[in-house]
Amino acid sequence: MIQLHNVFLSYQKEVTALHGINLRVPRGEFIFLTGPSGAGKSTLLRLLYAALIPTRGQVVIDGQNVTRMTRSQIPYLRRSIGVVFQDFKLLPNRTVLENVAITLEVLGWGKQDINKKVYHILKQMGLEHKINATPLRLSGGEQQRVALARALVNDPKILLADEPTGNLDEENKDLILNIFKDANIRGTTVVVATHDKRLIENSHKRIVSLDKGKIVEGPDVAQ
Amino acid sequence: MSLNKPVKRPKLANEGVVGRFTFFVNRALLNIRQNIFVNLVTIGTITLAILIISLFMLVFVNLEGVSNDWSKRVQVTAYFEQELSPPELASLKSLVQAIPGTDRVTYVSKEEAFNRFRERLKGQELLLDGITTDVLPSSVEISLKSASRNSDAISAYVARLKKVPGITEVQYGEEWVQRYTTFMNFMRMAGLLLGSFLFLAVVFIVSNTIKLTIYSRKEELEILGLVGATRFFIKAPFLIEGILQGAAGAGLALVILTGCYYAFLHNAGNFLSFNPAASGLAFLPPVHIAGLFVSGVLLGFIGSITSLKRFVSV
Repeated sequence: MIQLHNVFLSYQKEVTALHGINLRVPRGEFIFLTGPSGAGKSTLLRLLYAALIPTRGQVVIDGQNVTRMTRSQIPYLRRSIGVVFQDFKLLPNRTVLENVAITLEVLGWGKQDINKKVYHILKQMGLEHKINATPLRLSGGEQQRVALARALVNDPKILLADEPTGNLDEENKDLILNIFKDANIRGTTVVVATHDKRLIENSHKRIVSLDKGKIVEGPDVAQ
Repeated sequence: MSLNKPVKRPKLANEGVVGRFTFFVNRALLNIRQNIFVNLVTIGTITLAILIISLFMLVFVNLEGVSNDWSKRVQVTAYFEQELSPPELASLKSLVQAIPGTDRVTYVSKEEAFNRFRERLKGQELLLDGITTDVLPSSVEISLKSASRNSDAISAYVARLKKVPGITEVQYGEEWVQRYTTFMNFMRMAGLLLGSFLFLAVVFIVSNTIKLTIYSRKEELEILGLVGATRFFIKAPFLIEGILQGAAGAGLALVILTGCYYAFLHNAGNFLSFNPAASGLAFLPPVHIAGLFVSGVLLGFIGSITSLKRFVSV
């Protein structure tokens, strides 16, 4: 599902964020990207949803070579990828329903179908009673679940999460981890960048460690 | 192998050009409602911008009007060697009329000249006792087309007029015409410069305000990009918003301008005594009003499109 071949990324000429990354994530797998701050976790995730294009090397997502895509093709790739962040990135002046609905509006769904689908996913997240609340009235854990609902509402092939539990307490971390696992069970390939050791230990999933822009631990190191 | 059931894609809503346009307009209206403060700031800025430009235009249009009235006083008077018989006069008039720049040719007989002189001496007619109507010469008064009412054109015109057989002397208030021409050139230059600076300042302020308001919503743009919205899908509601803001701003400015005009300005002409012939300041002609409205809409649209370029990177 995800393949990176000898990927280099330099922000400026001097600063190289990623050094020759080789990574292969099969369809339906769940991996953790881990490593200290500045190791290149977020940069790697940004390559996966085509917010960055590598300076060298190839990034292939779901059979499509991102490095060869035109700017107008990228939105269509992103429709099969859900992304969540540490800071949730919810729109504060829109309701939970409207925040989650954005994903389906972009796909051109009709209002009634959107309402049904959003209610369904919020129910899975245990948030159906907050459907008309604005994000500022929700706790951190609830906000992250709304963000996850937005990412998962169109059943994406890939779910990317950048420090998704960074702002949450232990109870909410477990809740979020279970949502990731559920999505993974339903077939979504999940990549979670985190340096939360407890989260990683509890999950028993494959771990890829990054340091200074290189993979230092994991099955792909030898390649 | 994915265990995900393929997303059962429901029938798309808002299909076709009209459907999509309706969707984007509704989205723009919703955005305005949800971001009412930043929208009011933008509309307020556009209102002030258009109001400033329209007030400037109002002053300029009225000055042009006044100058046009003044320029009507530019008149060339030609005197004859000897009294002309009616056929001679007719042929002379047609010769004069044929000179480019001639608007109207009026014959002033000796009697009429004497009567005019008497009018001017109103109250002191005694001075004219014993003077016959013969004392003043007859003449033709020529008014010029507006394009010929400046000092260079008049000099050229007078040179041709002097070549008409039978005309011996031509008078046209050379010094006045020169001063008037210099003044009008200065006015036009100053107006153009002032107008250009004003326009640039207004465009700068409005585009920066729009940039700031769009910047305040950059998270929304980012999220739309993340969930796979195309550039067009992201930009269209913002552009419609820009057009609506421009239209609202320009409309409001024109309403305020009309209000100010009828409340204070339409009688100001008398007070300023620019032009005693007119009863007050003239309002902007419809073409100018339409132009201002379109400028407002364009300001909103162009301001949005240039700002979006910076923030939509998808």
